[in-house]
Amino acid sequence: MDLTYVVVLVIVLAIFFDFTNGFHDTANAMATPIATGALRPKVAVALAAVLNLVGAFLSTAVAATISGGIIREGPGGVDITPSMIFAGLIGAVIWNLVTWLRGLPSSSSHALFGGLIGAALVGAGLDSVDFSVVLSKVVLPALLAPLVAGIAAFLATRLAYRITRRPVEKNKRAGFRVGQIFTSSLVALAHGTNDAQKTMGVITLTLIAGGFLQTGSAPPFWVVVVCACAIAAGTYSGGWRIIQTLGGGLTDIKATQGFSAEASTAATVLASSHLGFALSTTQVASGSIIGAGLGRRGGAIQWSTAGKIVVAWFITLPASAAVGGLCELIARLGPVGLLIDAVLGLTVIVGIFVASRRRPAEQSNALEVDVAMNSVMTRNERRNAQKKRSEELLAARRRLSDESSLFGYGQDAS
Amino acid sequence: MIDWGSFVVVAVVSIGSAAVLVSLFSFGLRLLAGENRRWGARIGAYACFALAALGVLYGIYLIVPALHK
Repeated sequence: MDLTYVVVLVIVLAIFFDFTNGFHDTANAMATPIATGALRPKVAVALAAVLNLVGAFLSTAVAATISGGIIREGPGGVDITPSMIFAGLIGAVIWNLVTWLRGLPSSSSHALFGGLIGAALVGAGLDSVDFSVVLSKVVLPALLAPLVAGIAAFLATRLAYRITRRPVEKNKRAGFRVGQIFTSSLVALAHGTNDAQKTMGVITLTLIAGGFLQTGSAPPFWVVVVCACAIAAGTYSGGWRIIQTLGGGLTDIKATQGFSAEASTAATVLASSHLGFALSTTQVASGSIIGAGLGRRGGAIQWSTAGKIVVAWFITLPASAAVGGLCELIARLGPVGLLIDAVLGLTVIVGIFVASRRRPAEQSNALEVDVAMNSVMTRNERRNAQKKRSEELLAARRRLSDESSLFGYGQDAS
Repeated sequence: MIDWGSFVVVAVVSIGSAAVLVSLFSFGLRLLAGENRRWGARIGAYACFALAALGVLYGIYLIVPALHK
């Protein structure tokens, strides 16, 4: 099999995975500031994109293993071939897109692990996967991450309400929106340093496997640049469906809750990555939002949506493993198999995009003005109408996320 | 199999630091609330915001590996 051809395919797919990773995870940092009107949607995704770009350059220490010990790779274990990585990436990308289409936040790294596990099971047998590591690194953290973040956000929200309570005068809870900008930025930066690095690792290890780099070498500069740009572009394109789910689908978020939720997400993500117990950012962010929802008196959680999200977490690994395994099975036919994989993968990806256009998510800013109006308005008029509607939407978000005490209620409501 | 010790540490640190950061910011906002606020309240509020900002800066310090290695 011509190795160069496989390596090129893997790199292209890895970059696309990085892109889907970016747009899948914009919501973790930016769903709450968009929901409360702390940031305009476009500004929020642009800020997240810049922070992801910066974050990707900050940390380029590549992991020694692609799968983080889940697959027994390296000396004495199985060799992960580039074709397995390719099959695993297809599984991860397709699962990321399916969950995005359904508006479900699910962990991109779990999708990647799942795809690789499936490919390794088919390509190297049952012994190649260390299932105790799967349990301790994927299954249990999926239960614990939302629990820890949820408790943190619940307590933080309670505290915030208790402290800012002003029975007779106006409270200043609108000020939490300023705080939200900082805590959300922290989450976005942490995401950039963690997640871009994963793709850099995959590409570098593929280059090593293909004999283009020395074992143990750092990622070449072009890999860093390309990965940083891909994740930033993905973040900027914004997974609006997931932003909608986290920003409004789970609970109705007020500014106080948004600040508490993002502060808890940032605290949990940073604590977990520095004290040696890795938790998924996506699951932490969802848990924080649920915790913040429960922390406000009168706040209600849409448990049906929460249930769907939890189901998605638990089927992420097996689902992308199934796709990864299937692709590896086809890939074993040789170069032709890889080509079939690539074509099939591309068909599914295009199909998902077509399906997403059929039921477009409200793109927050790009509000569609009545179609009939479009034909009679000039471009400038149309632009002004859109601008006006986005201003109104922003004002509405701010108004709804504020809570005033009864004092002065009449003035606020008008 | 699973390192419960480090999990407990992570849980305690996460919950504690989130509570501290949010409390600081909330106290700052509370001190700013009200019509006829006094000098002291204002200074207290800005002190709270400054401490919260230090917390965020510490977060950045933790994120950037070049700073703590």
